[in-house]
Amino acid sequence: MHTYLLKRLLLIFPTLFGVAVVTFLLIRIIPGDVVELRYSGDRGAVSQQLLDQERARIGLDKPVWRQFATWIWGVARLDFGQSMWTGAPIWQEIKLRFALSLQVAVMATIVAVLLAIPLGVLAALKQDTWIDYAVRVFSIAGLAMPSFWLGIVLILMLLIVFQWLPPMVYTPFWVSPWQNLAQLIWPALAVGYRYSAVATRMTRSAMLEVLREDYIRTARAKGLMQKLVLSRHALKNAMLPVLTVVAIEFAFLIGGLVVTEQVFNLNGIGLLFVQAVAHRDYTLLQALVMLVAGAFILVNFLMDVAYAWLDPRIRYR
Amino acid sequence: MATPLAYDLEVVETRRRWPEALRDFGRRRPLGAIGAVVIVFMLLVAGLAPVISPYDPVAIDFGAMLARPSSAHWLGTDSFGRDVLSRLVHGSRTALLVGFGASILGAAIGAILGVGSAYFGGRVDLYVQRVMDIFLAFPLIILALALVAILGNSIPNLIMAITVPMIPRCALVIRASALSIREMAYVDAARAAGFGHARIVLRHMLPNVMAPFLIMLTAFVGQAILLESSLSFLGLGVQEPTPAWGLMLSGAAVEFAERAPWMAIFPGLAISLAVFAFNLFGDSLRDALDPRLRTQ
Repeated sequence: MHTYLLKRLLLIFPTLFGVAVVTFLLIRIIPGDVVELRYSGDRGAVSQQLLDQERARIGLDKPVWRQFATWIWGVARLDFGQSMWTGAPIWQEIKLRFALSLQVAVMATIVAVLLAIPLGVLAALKQDTWIDYAVRVFSIAGLAMPSFWLGIVLILMLLIVFQWLPPMVYTPFWVSPWQNLAQLIWPALAVGYRYSAVATRMTRSAMLEVLREDYIRTARAKGLMQKLVLSRHALKNAMLPVLTVVAIEFAFLIGGLVVTEQVFNLNGIGLLFVQAVAHRDYTLLQALVMLVAGAFILVNFLMDVAYAWLDPRIRYR
Repeated sequence: MATPLAYDLEVVETRRRWPEALRDFGRRRPLGAIGAVVIVFMLLVAGLAPVISPYDPVAIDFGAMLARPSSAHWLGTDSFGRDVLSRLVHGSRTALLVGFGASILGAAIGAILGVGSAYFGGRVDLYVQRVMDIFLAFPLIILALALVAILGNSIPNLIMAITVPMIPRCALVIRASALSIREMAYVDAARAAGFGHARIVLRHMLPNVMAPFLIMLTAFVGQAILLESSLSFLGLGVQEPTPAWGLMLSGAAVEFAERAPWMAIFPGLAISLAVFAFNLFGDSLRDALDPRLRTQ
């Protein structure tokens, strides 16, 4: 098992390196660059010389491989450089927004789990009854509704029914927990409902599988109460695949809320990403993608470790 | 004696006629059948869009700005006085074109990559898998967003941008099914007969991953529609004045949400219903086609 985990750990680096190469090249194919965009307001009034000077200042005049080497050497030392648009250090640009996106991701995951596990277990126990169908329709509907639209409808309902709008300005949790939650609970609900769908279905199918195992029959035959069979024997064993999908979705949530943040006017990682694309802010974009992809790759690795550790039936070469 | 004979005949006759198979699908999987009906309805609406839409979807009428739903405008009008129903009807063309275009392309390329990767195995498999891993690490929307920025936002480019992130997801699933097919005797037989790699992959292996292929395909249509509407909502997808559901939700729809909620509600309902139908249908198709996932 140790060699398997070591191999798995070492595989992280080529993948991350590949992500770095793809990102670096991809964003440089996008037409236009940050210098051109910054002076585009002045139209033809800017001389070519000034543009060249500006490019040289932020290192865009060097050959691409040199730029890449400089950047990747920085990344290896966890130094992502400065934003090409604002000139501020990347970590400073990302810090506050990351805190916000992370909080929404955590809250959405809690919403998703609170919905998914009871519903999934219920659907599995009542397999092929109308309850099962209702749960299935509820969760597929969650997958079908765009969370940005759900957001618009939520805000609209609050406005029409309660004549109340959630605060539009972000307040950190430690400043005013109430203000903070009043703003962030809505995106968390919209996104959490959507993400509960996959977890609900996973809970249902994992429970169905476990309920057919011999040890469940044994537990029932021993005369254990249904409640105890479910909580101690079935649920515990069905949770591993559910944990995996929840964790992977969480990793995506950190950077994948691009559209939802727009609706709720949240200044998080997703919005920053859209701005960075619009400004052709290469360094910021690279850092954001590395952050999001890195989180995904890391969570995947941790899940493999968890599997190897928690499920002794799984053997690895 | 008669009963076992009849039973045998039923087993032998595996090729059923279409209407019968459809009726069976409808009876055993009511949710899937509902999905299929909605999909057929959408295809009809898209096909007959110019005939059934009451107004020109791009005709601006400042006399009827933000009009409430009424007998003249069933679903109201937007901030340019354009008829919401007509824009929805025409928007279904955009949604289906991008949805089917991207998912057929993505699933096809993914299937060829997946089967090829499984067939050749060894180094080829290893490298293809690593490249897929890299692309899987990007969230769908982020990769699509970057590609749209590169390609520009015409509809063919939008399809391309949505296709690319679909490819590794399909390749992964198809490869898993193809791995077991590689070990089949008929693949060995084809190899022994001296057929080339391309022929074995395309003629012998690809048809046998049809079930997962179709499952991925239907699952992707819904996702592609959702992705298109997200990109259009951000202003990076379909451009005005082309009618598209995501686009109808952006800008004015949010601004005027309180005064004219119909502008925001109906396009979202259309997106949800479309994706819902494809997901329901895809789900039931998976249950019907994939015996390993079949419950009991």
